[in-house]
Amino acid sequence: MHRQGMREWVVPCFVVASVWVRWCIGLGSYSGQSTPPMFGDYEAQRHWMELTIHLPTRQWYTYDLQYWGLDYPPLTAYVSWLCGIVGAWINPAWFALDKSRGIETSGSKLYMRSTVLAFDVLVYIPAVILFTRAWHSNRSLRSQNLALITLLLQPALLLIDFGHFQYNSVMLGFTLLALNCFAKGRDLLGAFFFVLSLGFKQMALYYAPAIGSYLVGKCIYLGRQDGLRLFIRLAVVTSLSFVVLFLPWLPPFAPLSAILDPITRIFPFNRGLFEDKVANFWCASNVIFKWRTWLSRGALVRLSTVLTALGFLPGAATLILGGVKTQVQPEERTKGGSPAPILRLLPYALLTSSMSFFLFSFQVHEKTILLPLLPVTLLLSGASPDSGPFAWCALVNNVAVFSMWPLLKKDGLGIQYIATTVMWNRFIGYKPFQIRDRTFVQFLSVAVYASFLFLHFLEMILTPPVRYPDLFPVLNVLVSTPVFVLIWLWSIKCGLQVLWALGGLGSGASSRHRRNSTLSPITEQPGNVDGLPEDSRPVQMGGIGRDSGRRTTSFSVGQAHHRHPSKESASSGVGQNL
Amino acid sequence: MSSPTLLRSRFHDHGEKRTEDITEEDNVAESKAEPKTSTWLNMDVSVAEWDIFILSTCLKLLLFPAYHSTDFEVHRNWLAITHSLPLSKWYYDTTSKWTLDYPPFFAYFEKVLSIPAYFIDKRIVDLNNLDYDAWSVVAYQRTTVILTELVLGAAVLRFIRGARDPALQRIISASLFLHPGFLIVDHIHFQYNGFMFGILLWSIYMARQGDKLSSGFLFAVLLNFKHIYMYLAPAYFIYLLRSFCMSPQGEVLPRNFLSLANIVIAVFVVSVGPFILMGQLPQLLSRLFPFTRGLNHAYWAPNAWALVTAADRVLLQIVKRIGLNVSLNASGITSTSRGLVGDTVFAVLPNIKPIHTFAITLLFQTIFLIKLWRTPTYKSFLAGLTLCGYTSFMFGWHVHEKAILLVLVPLSLLACESYPYFRTFTIASVAGVFSLFPLLFTPPEIFVEVIYSTLWATLVFVPLNRRMYEFPRSLPGVIVDLLEKVYLAGFPILQIVVTAIPILGSRTSRSQQAAVAGTCVAGNFSCPEPYPAPLNGSSGSSSLDFLPLMLTSVYCAVGLVWAFLRLSWIYLKHD
Repeated sequence: MHRQGMREWVVPCFVVASVWVRWCIGLGSYSGQSTPPMFGDYEAQRHWMELTIHLPTRQWYTYDLQYWGLDYPPLTAYVSWLCGIVGAWINPAWFALDKSRGIETSGSKLYMRSTVLAFDVLVYIPAVILFTRAWHSNRSLRSQNLALITLLLQPALLLIDFGHFQYNSVMLGFTLLALNCFAKGRDLLGAFFFVLSLGFKQMALYYAPAIGSYLVGKCIYLGRQDGLRLFIRLAVVTSLSFVVLFLPWLPPFAPLSAILDPITRIFPFNRGLFEDKVANFWCASNVIFKWRTWLSRGALVRLSTVLTALGFLPGAATLILGGVKTQVQPEERTKGGSPAPILRLLPYALLTSSMSFFLFSFQVHEKTILLPLLPVTLLLSGASPDSGPFAWCALVNNVAVFSMWPLLKKDGLGIQYIATTVMWNRFIGYKPFQIRDRTFVQFLSVAVYASFLFLHFLEMILTPPVRYPDLFPVLNVLVSTPVFVLIWLWSIKCGLQVLWALGGLGSGASSRHRRNSTLSPITEQPGNVDGLPEDSRPVQMGGIGRDSGRRTTSFSVGQAHHRHPSKESASSGVGQNL
Repeated sequence: MSSPTLLRSRFHDHGEKRTEDITEEDNVAESKAEPKTSTWLNMDVSVAEWDIFILSTCLKLLLFPAYHSTDFEVHRNWLAITHSLPLSKWYYDTTSKWTLDYPPFFAYFEKVLSIPAYFIDKRIVDLNNLDYDAWSVVAYQRTTVILTELVLGAAVLRFIRGARDPALQRIISASLFLHPGFLIVDHIHFQYNGFMFGILLWSIYMARQGDKLSSGFLFAVLLNFKHIYMYLAPAYFIYLLRSFCMSPQGEVLPRNFLSLANIVIAVFVVSVGPFILMGQLPQLLSRLFPFTRGLNHAYWAPNAWALVTAADRVLLQIVKRIGLNVSLNASGITSTSRGLVGDTVFAVLPNIKPIHTFAITLLFQTIFLIKLWRTPTYKSFLAGLTLCGYTSFMFGWHVHEKAILLVLVPLSLLACESYPYFRTFTIASVAGVFSLFPLLFTPPEIFVEVIYSTLWATLVFVPLNRRMYEFPRSLPGVIVDLLEKVYLAGFPILQIVVTAIPILGSRTSRSQQAAVAGTCVAGNFSCPEPYPAPLNGSSGSSSLDFLPLMLTSVYCAVGLVWAFLRLSWIYLKHD
């Protein structure tokens, strides 16, 4: 397209094409279609629209909880209310209280599908476009557009939102907007967007350790005076946003006890350890070790909380340590408008934290893999196609789609599963079965893909034995979980490497970052989200730096930016003191 | 931006391009959706072409659950007929109302398709299992459409190799393979046009390569698949007769003539022979050519008759208003208000009989064929072929709107000849594709076709226009250019109007209903959907159903008639 002189048409065409693909996925069936009496997620979302427009706010979290009671935070409720109002204006029968339960007319489906598309177009797509411009600002337009299509057509999200039926792209879009704001140095606005994300779906809490640590790290980086000021502002903005979101359940609009209604609905600790078959630590180890017979629920909750905290700790710690190490000297005060150097740690920390929640926390759904997938895809969009990060992230994306196969199969989305996955892999130029550099990740990928194909083949020709009806979902879990554990470890490793490159250098550090922080975000921006190899290039480094450089190459992370980072660091005069 | 950044970005671009070039076909193996990879590997298919092929296949897969028309059941029924009945009963069976009315090759084709169908799901080929649309048969039939469309893909690929300007031809070829017409008619509505046009394009390709015997053979085969291609037959006849059976000086070459005649006769013998032997020829012909239909189809195909019919409606209104003393045809006043299949009777204008349409078509075709006879070159053949089909579409009796593909496909091949051709192609394609929109009337699919066509138009017209554009040189040229642009700009507005009318109509009709029926609407799930289905809708006022169709038809007819005149002018005057 670039060659045909269509440069300015690329983004509009990508957006329109991705909208078209989204819509076409929506032609298929949705979760719980024609399965009375409870139906599925589609009915849940529709039911919330129905109840929010007919009931006073106080009853939203208490009305007939047995039938898909509202259990998402208030922003979802407000959005449902808006959709319900508009929908009822078009056709009141779609959202008649109680009477519309399980409605499955084509008009109602059309309307529901278009609400998902509308919010996706309003939130997620602009967020993605801004992301490619803010985070990849030092890349060519071509790579920015490649990053755009990578994010726009990510199959897992498309299948869940537009096939299965949910509004995850809104939550992810708000988080992405927050990240864009951080990259532009607008931390307060970023914090606000993140609160919106949390207020839309509590699952965004998976990111909270990373985002919180980033903001704390940034405060530390800014030094005592500026840092404290930023910290107070952040605290005020965040708590005010929360208060506004929950206003209808707070005094003077309601008695103080009313706030417990939404809170208890949003955090259900009285459910099981995991639902269905989910590719996380608990479900996978459950094959051998029957957790639920050995430990009480209380103990399990405590154990999972501890493990989760241990899991995200490295990510949070790198950010805070990074903030300490890169702290600006009091005499070198910077403008608040630029991001901290630790920004490049953020995607890894997000991945570490969300993946540790996915792997270890209580009550995880298979769909929740979408949360770790966001940072994975962000990293992917910044990596060049023959690099290690690219191979890792593409692998995880494909594994994630595969891990949701039992769900998609149940929803009748098989053909969409094949089509979107093949299309996305082709678009990003990924070659699943190629071993070029003989690195670990390539062998791993081939092995994993081969087992996918084998499992799909088996599932086609065999019916599972009566004793093990869940044979294939369990096998699926056993293949997927190790990959997720590995990417979690990989993210920790990468985070440590970036941290090492940032500040593990003794006296050189402060002079370096003094210079950095005055550079405009365009030149110094960690456009390369997989930023570490930039600074850990062996050629430029002496002493300790060389060590880390060698290590990165041996982990095959380094190939990505062999060429241009050296140019960057050499020409901007940053690299020498590494 | 500072120079290091620039340098870096160049570097990066370079790196990406390199890796892209290395991209190989091996990852195709991962998907089960990809057919025929191994046999295609040794053909010279470039990476970009693989990309287009794989991506478009994925898009088509996504359309599996989309709406399908009664043609889907028609073809399923034919699978059942050819599978469960002996040859002698194929053209007699009336179990379903969708009787077999395509020529024998298509019946053989269905017979071949019915064999795997039997192993996939026995109920597909059960003759009495009418209106069967389980997932198995949907997936199977849709897959056969995608697979047989590879004939089209292969043909357009061949056109790129050895083209005068491969870069332009690549865009044209891609535009044909991804044509919204095929997406709408084949992959949603359901037919096998991609396959048929693939054969046609192979035949045209053979003509381009100078292998006229193969060209004639393939066209004869095509005729025995679907007889609508008879629209194009006169051009083939003249071209092959003049350029293959006669020397440039005008002497008859008996050897060539006989070999062509033999090969064509052989094709027909293989096709119709068995039925002649069984003495079923009259039955076969009566199935293929049912002369019991009206001038216009349910939805007027956007041709000259659509304009005439519309003029008659307008005149009728005028006559009614002013109260002129003109003898009105009583049956014409009520006719065409709903536009169901049936005879169109004019109220004011004199009625059209089949013989009239036949005469006009023949007259126009003769003009073009004389030109073709005088200049029997490949390019002239292409233009003559297009115009031959175009004339039939413009003036034929009971033309279906899908027949516009007969014009658009050969016209696409002409598009890169010169700017006037390209401009004609643009107008005809936009109007022609738009005129196909009413084939789909369910809202989700309307969205699909509109967005897809817009995207296709952008990706085809913008780069071609950039390469081909010529500034109009004379004052009339400037005016015509401006008018054409205004006309094209009218399509988005028309789409909005056409979408808005049924929505507004249904809202008012519902509010009337609600007023009558009181509160029962709210609790009733089966209350009418906001978009009445125009063609088989039962609710609402019929004029509101028909108005959007009429608007579309007339507006598209204006463009298509203009493109027809334009093309005739270019062909007769300039070449």
